[in-house]
Amino acid sequence: MASNNQNDDKGIPDLGDAIDYLTFSQILEMDDSEDDREFSKSIVFGFFEQAEETFGKMDEALKKKDLEELYHLGHFLKGSSATVGLTKVKDSCEKIQRYGKKENLDGTPENDDNVCLSRIKTTLSVVKTEYAEAEKTLRDFFK
Amino acid sequence: MPEGDMSGVAQGAGNNSSDFVSSLVLHPTSAIVLMLEDPAYSEVVRWGDQSDSFVVLENAHDPLQNEKFTKTILPKHFKHSNFASFVRQLNKYDFHKVRHNEENGQSPYGASAWEFKHPEFRADRKDNLDNIRRKAPAPRKAQNAEEQFSVQSQQVVVLSETLAATQQQVQQLQESYYEIMGANKVFVDEILHLQKLVKAQHQVHNELISHLSKLEERRDTRSSNHSTPGYNSNQNLMSDGSESPMELRRARDILNALSVDHVADRDLNRMSVAFHQAGGSPESVGSSSMMGPPGAAGVTPFLHDPLSDMRHLVYPVGQNIGIDPFAPEHMNNIPYNRPGGDSSMPPTSDFNSAPSMAANTPPGLQGSPSPWGSKKPVVLLVEDDRTCARIGSKFLSQHDCGVEVARDGLEAVNKVSSRQQPYDLIFMDIVMPQLDGVSATAMIRDMQPNTPIIAMTSNINQQDLEMYFQWGMRDVLAKPFTKEGMIGKLRRHLAGMLRNPPEGLMDPMYPNGGSTQPPSQGPYSNQGMGMAPLSATSSGPVTKFDTTPIQSPATSSSWHSPSQLPHPSPTIAQEHGGYLAAGSGSQMVLTPGGTQKPQYPGAMMSQMTASQRMPLEGPPEKRQRIYGPSGNYNQ
Repeated sequence: MASNNQNDDKGIPDLGDAIDYLTFSQILEMDDSEDDREFSKSIVFGFFEQAEETFGKMDEALKKKDLEELYHLGHFLKGSSATVGLTKVKDSCEKIQRYGKKENLDGTPENDDNVCLSRIKTTLSVVKTEYAEAEKTLRDFFK
Repeated sequence: MPEGDMSGVAQGAGNNSSDFVSSLVLHPTSAIVLMLEDPAYSEVVRWGDQSDSFVVLENAHDPLQNEKFTKTILPKHFKHSNFASFVRQLNKYDFHKVRHNEENGQSPYGASAWEFKHPEFRADRKDNLDNIRRKAPAPRKAQNAEEQFSVQSQQVVVLSETLAATQQQVQQLQESYYEIMGANKVFVDEILHLQKLVKAQHQVHNELISHLSKLEERRDTRSSNHSTPGYNSNQNLMSDGSESPMELRRARDILNALSVDHVADRDLNRMSVAFHQAGGSPESVGSSSMMGPPGAAGVTPFLHDPLSDMRHLVYPVGQNIGIDPFAPEHMNNIPYNRPGGDSSMPPTSDFNSAPSMAANTPPGLQGSPSPWGSKKPVVLLVEDDRTCARIGSKFLSQHDCGVEVARDGLEAVNKVSSRQQPYDLIFMDIVMPQLDGVSATAMIRDMQPNTPIIAMTSNINQQDLEMYFQWGMRDVLAKPFTKEGMIGKLRRHLAGMLRNPPEGLMDPMYPNGGSTQPPSQGPYSNQGMGMAPLSATSSGPVTKFDTTPIQSPATSSSWHSPSQLPHPSPTIAQEHGGYLAAGSGSQMVLTPGGTQKPQYPGAMMSQMTASQRMPLEGPPEKRQRIYGPSGNYNQ
């Protein structure tokens, strides 16, 4: 696992497979100082806000059965979660994006709105869990 | 003197002076002779002492004193009584008053005497009287007309010379105009032809890439079973653009970038159309009018046409057009710019600068000098996701770029339009509120046709890519972007702004190479030194780097080698790999580029070679597959 190679001078711990180390470490590299990690911390905490905000919007859109909006929200959170390195969250967001676009995961069209909405509902709860896990890891990391 | 003779003379003379004849019975000379020889007038008028003049003794100026001459003689012989008229008449016949004042002071005939002379008027040579003719109106008029005529004809000559010269000039201008036009058409045709060729090749490449992509996907799916089976294949394809068909994607990107429709194309097409319209029916028209010159027979239609088109013939003077642009000597002299010399074609410049960048890797930059030349690039980052925007900004600013961020397409367009200096480069997200990135790109293209715009997107299927490029994007940066990916695009598209493009920047690239990448350190650092003039086919450690094949052909990544993608730094790759593909270490076989290459289908080679020369933005290895046992690197 990644931790096997973590014995470098950066002293970055294993963040588990919830977080893509490569991506995340790039953000860490942007820090001027490894002591305060000002930049990466602000990015990550900014992302937390953004993610929670987006989850809230997703909940609303789900209530309104607004697939289009869910598609956009899925896309949006996919981008930022990927940028921070939350691989699982990103993947789930991509699923939401697809369902919102009325597609199956393989890209074939799914014409039944209710199927799409129900899949989104399931995926949304999954992604929130995934996010919570990653958030905890990251908050620990930045403590 | 018999009067009959004189009258005959007078009549003869009078024939030359019709107006005077009408007022005189006799020719004035005859009248004068009669008058002189009339003894009754000897006190008043007589021959001069030398018999070569006659003298009016009375003062003709004073009417009171010359009563006799004016009241008696003039009315009798000249039908009037005006001395002044008499003098005028004499003058008309070329008699001149003899002046004595200057020489003798006094006239021998008295102060008031008027002496008149004419060369032919002598008392003893009356036969010469015929020669005394009026300078007369008639002959005089004729002479004037002649003078005028000669003046006019001189003017006409001058004018016609000028005209001829002008015509000559116009003619020459026309000739060179058509000559240039002809040459221009040759260029346009040639360019269009080349474009067609390029398009065809582009098509071929795309077909090949599609084909390879499919193969790749299949392989990938097969080989991805080793980790997180649940959504792994999906992840491989979507989560990390750099993973499987990265080289293929890169190749496709390059192709697409090449096909970007730039402004000149439209003009070219317009010109081409114009030429063909002007062409009309070349041969028939050409032979009809004044142009059908033997020499021009071989001239190409488009040369005929404009000249035979009367609208263009201001001065249809010329017989021929001097120069046949199609003549071999001209053709050989046409200084074609080889496609690629054109700086407005970004892909080309990429290629040109590629070798230099081959050795470059995204510098870690802290503590290192600015990578840019005299001017630092200013980049516009258009991204609605503030996390992405902040990270992207940070990447760019750490690479010593000026960065501005726009939150959506509309803001981007506004920023571009309100900015005096164009941005040097624009990173453009695609899906954004208010105005999407593709629309924004199209709008920005109108304002800033030359600013490279790079799409940032996770939608990287063929159709999307085609659309991006069609709307004027020049490249695609896969999302989630990495620092290497982003900086790589930046450096590639702004290669001209780099301070020292050809210099290897390996050191900053692998700041931690020593500690984190023991296995690869040796070869890598060697390459860093020696890589600048890298050629894809060279051998030795350098090649190893360049074409690091990564894996044995049996594994899914065998397609990855040569064109390396802007992704992970080796440092990271190793760790990342561990995490991603933990079990796959044993796959790693470092094959030297030479042996690996033949596996690429021939058609791909050229493209791949091109890719190879592209900047190496990251280590050749694919991150998830590279971390093989360290020993492999040294093999």
